[in-house]
Amino acid sequence: MVEYWRLLDTGLHDAFYNMALDEAIVLARSKNLVPNTIRFFRWEPSAVSIGHFQSMEEEVDTSACDKKGIDYVRRRTGGGAVYHDRDGELTYSIIMNQDHRLISPDFQKTYETLCLGLVRGLRRLGVQAEFKPINDIIADGKKISGNAQTRGMNVVHQHGTILLKVDPSLMFSVLRVPNEKIRDKMVKTVEERVTSLERVLKRDVGFDELKESLVKGFEEAFNIKLVDGTLTSFEEQNSSRLIIEKYATTEWNFRR
Amino acid sequence: MNKAQLKVEGGKLIKIQLETVDDKIKKVKITGDFFLHPEELIDDMERTVTGASLDEKAIADRIKKFILRNKAVLLGASPEDFAKCIVMAGVDNG
Repeated sequence: MVEYWRLLDTGLHDAFYNMALDEAIVLARSKNLVPNTIRFFRWEPSAVSIGHFQSMEEEVDTSACDKKGIDYVRRRTGGGAVYHDRDGELTYSIIMNQDHRLISPDFQKTYETLCLGLVRGLRRLGVQAEFKPINDIIADGKKISGNAQTRGMNVVHQHGTILLKVDPSLMFSVLRVPNEKIRDKMVKTVEERVTSLERVLKRDVGFDELKESLVKGFEEAFNIKLVDGTLTSFEEQNSSRLIIEKYATTEWNFRR
Repeated sequence: MNKAQLKVEGGKLIKIQLETVDDKIKKVKITGDFFLHPEELIDDMERTVTGASLDEKAIADRIKKFILRNKAVLLGASPEDFAKCIVMAGVDNG
């Protein structure tokens, strides 16, 4: 029997909406109001997200962000600070029931299983992608995708990024560096450790081409069929509520 | 407030801010890019070491017990790593 999942492409939104909508879908899934879901999204304006346990002051140059009109938000998932460039990055979320056949009690194993959808999708584009523990996907030995997972209310939520283009100097203009002397060195280190579809394939890859490949990758790897869907009013109402109550608040974003 | 940070080999980065009184932990703030599940436990995990001496094994034991008691999961950093970094911050105190 074919297992149908919902596919959402929510397009460009600000950081607060993007993070609130992920949580709203988790809520909807926990109440069985929606099927298992894969969502693609992008960030407008460009934004920085930090991991659940990171300090906003220590990781992000918020005054530089304010000047450049870049949003900053704390995620519900752990992991590190990520610069989400409007034009250089695609973000995805997987929201599914925890008692699903693909989910192991072992987080590390589940990262590998869920990331296989991305790996398969990237390979279809000709990228020799591989999963690298704990939570990365690499190509040519460099990171091309970072992922973060959480669980609760019998729902597994994993989101992550795929880099189409990368500009480390822009990245470090909004992330804090320990001191100015080593800024150039850190930019160089990122140059050496991070790559993008453009760098690996030596051509421009469009968002639609990438999404199409990833859809096929997820379908193959998870043995599912993705069907274009829409948001429920429950999800829309809860995302609006979560923006106001959580993701756009100083209390949440600066809590650590 | 004393600070230390530790990059775990093959794992994540831990940052510690520490306040001590008479060589005992008064308050600790743990930040970094590790994973703790469920996430809400972080405040309680910080509190679980309050009152401990700056002894790596004693602190690691407290965190280990806390993790077990709460059926929590750590990824990218272990109780021993947190303990090591907390003691590093304490030593920095001089």
